[in-house]
This record gives sequence, structure tokens and C-alpha cells, in this order.
Amino acid sequence: MRAGGLDIGSRTVKFVVIEDGRTVLARKALTSHDPLEAARTLIAGIQYDVIVATGYGRHLLKEHLDCPVISEIKAFALGAKAIHAPCRVILDIGGQDTKAICLNESGEMAKFEMNDKCAAGTGRFLEIMANALNYTLEEFPKAALSAEHAEKINSMCTVFAESEVISLTARGASRSDVALGIHKAIVSRSTALLKRIAPSGEVFFAGGVALNECIRALIAEDLNRPVVVPPDPQGVGAFGAALHAQKVGAATGGNNETVLR
Amino acid sequence: MSRTVEPLINDEYTGGPPTKRVLAHLQEKRRTGMKIAGVYCGYAPTELILAMGIAPATLCAFSNATIEAAETVLPANLCPLIKSSYGFIITDTCPFYGLSDAVIGETTCDGKKKMFELITDLKPTWIMDLPQVPDQEEAVANWAAMIRKLQRFLETTFGAHATDDAIEAAIRDINRRNAMMREVFEFPAGRPTVVGWQEIYDLTFLAQGSSGKEMEPILAEALWKLEQRRDNGYAYRPADTPRVMVTGCPVGGDAEKVFRIIEEAGGVIVALDACSGFKPYMTDTAEGTGDPVRALAERYLKIPCSCMTPNARRLTEMTRLIEKFRPDAVIDIVLQACHSFNIESHKVGEHVGRYHGLPFLKIVTDFSLSDVEQVRTRVEALLESC
Amino acid sequence: MSDYTQMWSDLGLDLKGHDALLSVLGGAYQDIFLSQKNRPEGMKYFDFVMSEVHGLRIKELMDAKAQGRIVVGSYCVFVPEELILAVDGVSVGLCAGAEFNFEGAEEVVPRNLCPLIKSAFGFKRGLVCPYLEASDIVVGENTCDGKKKSYEVLGPMVKDLYIIDLPQMKSDSGRMLLKEEYRKFMTKLEEKSGRKITAENLKKGIATVDAKRQAVKRLAELRKTDPAPISGLDALLVNQVFFYDDPTRFTSSVNALCDELEERVKKGEGVFPKGTPRVLMSGCPMAVPNWKVPFIVETSGAVIVGEESCVGERGTRWLTGDEGGGVAEMLEAITERYFKIDCAVFTPNPSRVDHVRDMFGRYNAGGVIHYSLQFCHPYIVESGPVEANLEGSGIPVLRLETDYSQEDSGQIKTRVEAFLERIQGK
Repeated sequence: MRAGGLDIGSRTVKFVVIEDGRTVLARKALTSHDPLEAARTLIAGIQYDVIVATGYGRHLLKEHLDCPVISEIKAFALGAKAIHAPCRVILDIGGQDTKAICLNESGEMAKFEMNDKCAAGTGRFLEIMANALNYTLEEFPKAALSAEHAEKINSMCTVFAESEVISLTARGASRSDVALGIHKAIVSRSTALLKRIAPSGEVFFAGGVALNECIRALIAEDLNRPVVVPPDPQGVGAFGAALHAQKVGAATGGNNETVLR
Repeated sequence: MSRTVEPLINDEYTGGPPTKRVLAHLQEKRRTGMKIAGVYCGYAPTELILAMGIAPATLCAFSNATIEAAETVLPANLCPLIKSSYGFIITDTCPFYGLSDAVIGETTCDGKKKMFELITDLKPTWIMDLPQVPDQEEAVANWAAMIRKLQRFLETTFGAHATDDAIEAAIRDINRRNAMMREVFEFPAGRPTVVGWQEIYDLTFLAQGSSGKEMEPILAEALWKLEQRRDNGYAYRPADTPRVMVTGCPVGGDAEKVFRIIEEAGGVIVALDACSGFKPYMTDTAEGTGDPVRALAERYLKIPCSCMTPNARRLTEMTRLIEKFRPDAVIDIVLQACHSFNIESHKVGEHVGRYHGLPFLKIVTDFSLSDVEQVRTRVEALLESC
Repeated sequence: MSDYTQMWSDLGLDLKGHDALLSVLGGAYQDIFLSQKNRPEGMKYFDFVMSEVHGLRIKELMDAKAQGRIVVGSYCVFVPEELILAVDGVSVGLCAGAEFNFEGAEEVVPRNLCPLIKSAFGFKRGLVCPYLEASDIVVGENTCDGKKKSYEVLGPMVKDLYIIDLPQMKSDSGRMLLKEEYRKFMTKLEEKSGRKITAENLKKGIATVDAKRQAVKRLAELRKTDPAPISGLDALLVNQVFFYDDPTRFTSSVNALCDELEERVKKGEGVFPKGTPRVLMSGCPMAVPNWKVPFIVETSGAVIVGEESCVGERGTRWLTGDEGGGVAEMLEAITERYFKIDCAVFTPNPSRVDHVRDMFGRYNAGGVIHYSLQFCHPYIVESGPVEANLEGSGIPVLRLETDYSQEDSGQIKTRVEAFLERIQGK
């Protein structure tokens, strides 16, 4: 049975298909202004027996496909646990939100904390700042890692931080120092969120922003705890949704049409 | 500071944060075997505490550094003073809290009230039930009863005692202290002022937990120096510098960024209408009444904190200060999430504008540096309108 | 609904704003309440009350005033309805559950303030609340900082604002303060109404209010079963109407509803399938027409089986009782009864978490949603220890902090869904 998981995020859509627990397909695309169309295009022509949607756009898709949906929190919990069995604490920094999730001994979701009201400290923040400093998203972490010291960014708000970055460079601050300051700002906000529910323990770090090597290094340094990053950090949610689809499909015989909530 | 002017307090802490000096004084008292009670508020009856041979230590913290730790437990959307104080406690880094043998709190604002619940198990703690309506007939009697209960608590916790005569003596002593502090405040009332906010803070921070007897030589010297400055024509700032009165929440430590901004923008602070400034010294306790605790209760309920309602005294006090210190503008500093001062600011602004015709600015801020430029823009605009 | 334009105009309402408010209210009611499936017949009475909320009920108030009775508006469950009834007054809870004219409110109170307070000001400055405009006395209370200081601003805006001071600690002196404040309130009511409070009329007042409470307590008990015979939304509505409907009529309507629910329980009939996740709400009150979070919860696959809130069990749990005696004894009983209310403005407030735990067990809940209004310091700070305490005894808790706007509905729904996933253990 082929089980599909679709994670419709605010910035990117991710689609994972698993068969007998193994990933046989993984793709992603930009959500753009039309998440439904982006999702449709992504899954077009792919064979699956059951599909589950998660993420910001899950309810939108549910109307179209009449598929089960799960929260992205549950999806991340399922995915992380399957990828890394000892996983108890998950930090997910996504395109526009950040989540921290705690699992209990049985691997079930116990506590979670989200920041989905403010883009500061998310992937969006990185994009805007990279742009303001005239770096591509690939160059940005490299520049930050090359810096000798970090310029402190005081603004809490993405918009004001952008102004602050511009005035820093106008005053002669080195671009890479500012880049490092930006990365540190994201890290301190994310770890503050995490520490509210998980003051200690190994951390499973996922989400699109985990692709950024400077963030990965700084998170480990800031937390002073072991940090585990999966090979495809951005696809953990879709993978988790696919796992749930597998379970649902096994229970109902794999016929998508008969699947209820 | 000009080379020709000697600091009012000239010691190894001159020029630094006033709290360092206060800590040194407390550590000295500790060395002599004195017990220390941590207090959070201007309503804690200093006279009683001193009469019992205990030294009060202010626990209100003004450092941004401990807020992150506090926010793992307390909501981020809470007064920075409360978060900072709590953060110090849970990271075990507050020297004042560390020195305290007991903690005294009051039911002032909601934030503090509920935060105290989180620390009552850590040290012997006593929360005084502060009346909210000081004009109520029973308010004075109720607060007097609370002061007696505090006395019982301190007796039990420390084995300390104070007779009513001792309390009466402490009242006279503190009245003397306050009178001398008010003499000091005469100097920023002058034009030009011969003293800046930092030196005022050196005195107000130190005097808060100190007896009149301790402060007498320090204040006498400070007064003498102030007279010298005035007589020698010294001006802390030129006479035509816009004079600013700050009012509102207590301001210290990292919140002093606002004061620095005011001075950088070309203003001079001549009146500090807050518990970190003039407020604790502006009222005297009636002497020789035969009921010193009731006299204390009456005096303390006069403090015009916004936790009181309807707090008409805030406006009458403000008028008194404006008439004395003749500021050109009034700035109401409200700490973020402080509902009491924030709501009250509306009527303060109306009063200052309508009754005194002065420009008014409310600043809502915290202990971080994230809003420095925004504050600066507002203060500059205010001073331009003077 | 009849044409009440003249009545509204006489009350000084801004007719245009008022019409706008009513149409929004009507639309919301349709979407939220009337779209529910399998509602008890008994809810038709409450639908009717809501359809006439600014009409018939106001006419009743105006008729009462014409007969020389006073209308007393209030914002808090600490205001003793018994005393108001004793002077043959009409007690009404004042609306504060909609994001209406916040611009007007924010001209006089800060933006960063509890939406309940801003709503009260929005209604006042927008002149859209007939209850407020019809009140002969508006009673405020020194509960939280926000309210305490806001009443200073409200005072000049209303005909007669009367503040009841409340204790902050549950001590002997606190009890004495409350009793004294109630005594003063009695004097105020007597002066305003021109009637004296006697043992006879106070006894009657107590009986009327206790009967109301008994009825809603009966309703609460009936939600214990699985499937729940009534939705949390409908039960909330009943608890909201508690505050401003005619007490006797309300009591009999609730009892009729309960009779019907008893039949449902016998037949195992419910509004959601058996096995639907059961949630207990706890925290800040939801004033009418604040239905936002219960609507999200009950359209996400759960049923709310109880409310540990002032618009809910915390407000109605206790009866004043009738031990006999004169006015002094009854005042004592009233004081004793209200003194028990465990709102988070009290410090310490240990009984609250015990009540939540007790309700969790009694109503067979699967999880607790702790609901705080934005900027509410007492409940938000208290939510930390409450959550830790409940989780420590194996009770799942979700903490929510929100306002009246629709902006964060998506985020709330995500959290609620994740929480339901957790308590179902799926």
C-alpha cells in the first residue's frame, strides 16, 4: 500500500509517499499564492492508496480531496519519532512559524508550544534579512559562519529589524557580522520557546530552517544539549502525515473514498 | 561631571549603578549580624522594620538579563520589573534576595500578586493585604492591622521585637531623614538645577532602606556640596535647558535608558515622581499620636500609587510638584503590561495638559534596547514642542 | 421582532451603530447556534430570548422603570443579585463580549487591555447597549487592575457608577471587608430605589436566585453522560442568559430544558456521537456574545462538558441558602456564599485548581482547556501553576490566550486540534 502525506505550509508544499514504511517519493514546491493549485500540481499523476493532509492549508485541501487531516504538530511528532526513535523533544522552525513539541515515554505528543503570530524568528525572517544584506539564501549562513563577531540585533519585529540591519550596514558594520547577528536572533527566540516546555534533553531539530548550517551550529551551541537533524528536515511533517495515512489505510483497507475523519 | 564639582557621594561606587552601593551597605549590616528583610514596594513600612532591628532590602530588579529565564515560567506579556525580579530569583543570582532572611510583599498589582505565589515557598514570606481604596473609612484601620500582622510575622521569624516607643522613635528618625531628602530636592527645583538624576538616584536608592541616623552625615555632606554648587554658580545644564518631570512606574537599571535619552535629546530631569525617586520621601508620619502603627498606616496610604483607586492624590501631588519644580514637559513612563499606570496615564495627561498647559508624553517601554530609537524620536518631538 | 426604534431612540442609542451590531449578532447566531444539529427543543426559548435581546427584554426593563423599579447593571458575579431583587430591582449583566467600536474604546483606555473591558467601553462610547443606557446604577467592582482603573474612566460616562470594593485575600479581614461593602451596597440600593430591605423581601430574593442556580446546576449535572445531551455552546448560552433574563421565567425554562435532557439521557441520545472527546473549559468568563473558542472546539470534533468560569460553574456552584433569621443573618449568609468564589484576583487561590480537578472527574472529561482573555494577568499567571498541577496528576491541559477577533481563529484551531489528537491518543 502506498501512503501519501501532504504538508501544505505557508511557504512550501511537501509531498511524501511511503510504501511499507519506506519513503519512495519526496517532492516539494513553493506554495505561492494558490496553495490548492500548488498541492494539486505536486500530487498530480502520483499513485497512492490513501493520503492525509497537514499544515496550514490542510482544511483547504480536505474540502477538495475529502481526505483525513491531522495537525502539523501531530504530523511532526509522528515523523520525528519514526526517524529518530529516542526522540522526546522536537524543535521545528518553519517558513512562518516555530513549534516546540514534547513527547512522552510512549512517543505520544504531550506538550507543545507554538509561535505562529509573529514571523520574527522564522524562515521568513531569514529570507527578508538575506535580501536586505544582498545575500542569497545559500550564501547567507556561510557569510554568518565566517564572521568574527556578531552585531546585536535589538528589534523584535521583522520589519523594524530590517531597518536596523540597513542602518547597521550604512554605519559601516560588516555584512557578515550582521548576518551572524540575525542568525543568533532567530536562535535565541526559538530556544526561548523550546525552554518553556523542555528545559533539558536531546533536541530533534527540523523544519526548513534546519537546512541552514549556521542555525544548526548556533542551536547546538545555545542549548548546550545534543541536537539531531534528520537528512530531510523540511519533509518531516509530510512524512509524519504519510505514516498516519499508512495507519488509516491499514485500518480501512486502503480505499481513500471510505476514509472518514 | 565637571572637574570643579565633587560628587555628592564620593566613594568607590561613584559613577556606577546606585544599587552597588546599597548592596555594600547591606553586606556590611549583614556582617554585623543584622537580619535582612527583602521588600518589593514603597508600601512596606520601613519604620517598623528598622525599629525591629531589621534592615530592609529592595528586591525590585531592573535588569533585562534575567528576563529570558523568567519567561520560561511567566508570560512574556508581563511587567519587566516583575519578570526581572523573578528571573533573578529562579537563577539564584540576586544578591539582595540572597541576603534576605525573609521576604515582604504586598497585594499591589495583579502581576506582583500572582508572581509572589510562585516564590512563597522559597523563603519565609509575608504578603500584606494592602487596601485598594485609601479614602474608605476603614482603610487606615485595616492597614494598621496589617502592619501589626507584619510585626507578628517578623517577631516569629526573627525573634525580633519592637515596642510602640521604639516604633515612635523610628518614625521620628525617618521623618528626619525624609525632611533632609526634601531639602536635597530643593536643588533640582532651582533654575538652573545643580544636580542630575544620577546623583539624585545615588541618594534615593541608598536612603530607602536606611535610617535617618545613617543618612544624616551623608545627606549633610550632600547638602553642603549642593549649596556650594549653587553659590558657585554651577549649572548641571544651562538654565534654558528644557526641564522635564518624569512620573509613573519605578525606573532603574536598564530602564534608565529613557533618562539618558532625555538628556541626549537636550532635556534635563528636574523631578522624579516615582517610587524610585521622590515619592517615598514626600510625606511625613504624624508624631506623638500615641498610636504609632495607626500613624504609619495613615502615612503610607497617602502614597499615590496607581494600584490605589481612584488615586486622586496622584493629580494633586503632580500639581504640587509642577508648581514647585516648574518643568517644561511631563513624561509618564509606563512599564510594559502595567495596566494600572497605563490606564491612569490618560487622566494624568489630561490634567497636565488642561490644568497646567504643559506638553505631555506617555512612554510605554521595557528593559530591552529594542525601542531606543522609537523612544528617542518621541522625546525629541516632545522637547521640540517646549 | 417588533419595531423598537422609538424605544431605542428614547434610550439615546446610536441607531445606525446599533443596527450594525444587531445584524452582526444575528448573523453570528445563525452560523454558530442555529447551524448545530440535534439541538434540544428547550433551546428554542433561548433562541427567542436572543432574538429579542435588545427588544422585548428591554421593553420589560422600561416597563419596570415606569413602575418605579430600578435597573441595576453589573459586570461581575461578585455583585449580589439577592440584594438587588430585595429592593424589587432588576439585575442585568452588562454586555462585554464583542469587538465593537474598539477604536472608540482605545481613545480612553490603552489598546493593550482585556477585550472584555474594551468591549464595555466600545458599547458605551458607541451608544449601542440598551442595557447600559437603561441602567439606573452601573455597578463596578475592584477585581483586577484593568477593571479597577477602567471604572475611574467609565465613571463620568454613566449616570451613576457605584464601586464595590473587594478583598484580595481570603482572610478574616477580607471577609469583613466584603460584608461591609455589601452593607454599603444595600444602603445604596435602598436610597436609589426608595425601598427598604427587609427580612421578607431579602428572603424572597435569596430564594429566587438560588432557584436559578439550582436550575443551572441541574443542567450541569446532565452533561455528565456520554453522549452529552446538549452542546457546550448551548449550555454556555444558557449560562450567559442567566445574567439578564427575568429570573423566574429563566428558571422554569431551564428546568423544562432539563426535563427534556433527562429524557435524552434515558434514551442515550446526544448532540455528538458517543465517544466524542470531552473537554472542560476553565478560566476567564465568556460574556455574551463571545462564542469564539467554544465554536472552534465543537466544530473540531469535541464536546464541551463543563465550564469552570464565572459564566458557568464558578458563578453558580454555591447557594446562599436560607437559614432563617433577619437581615443581618442573611447578609452574613450572602457574604459567606460570595466569599467562596475563587477568581484568580485572589491570592493565594488554591481552591480553584481543586475545583477544576473535581469537575474533570465529575463530568468525565478527557482534557482541560485553560482559557484566558488577552492581557488578563491574574488568569494568565495563574494558568502556569494550574497547568503544572493538573498535568502532574495526569490531566491533559491546553492553555489558550486570545481576544475577540477572528484573526487568530486558524491558530486557535490548530492548537485545539493538536490537543484533541493528544487526548484521543490517536
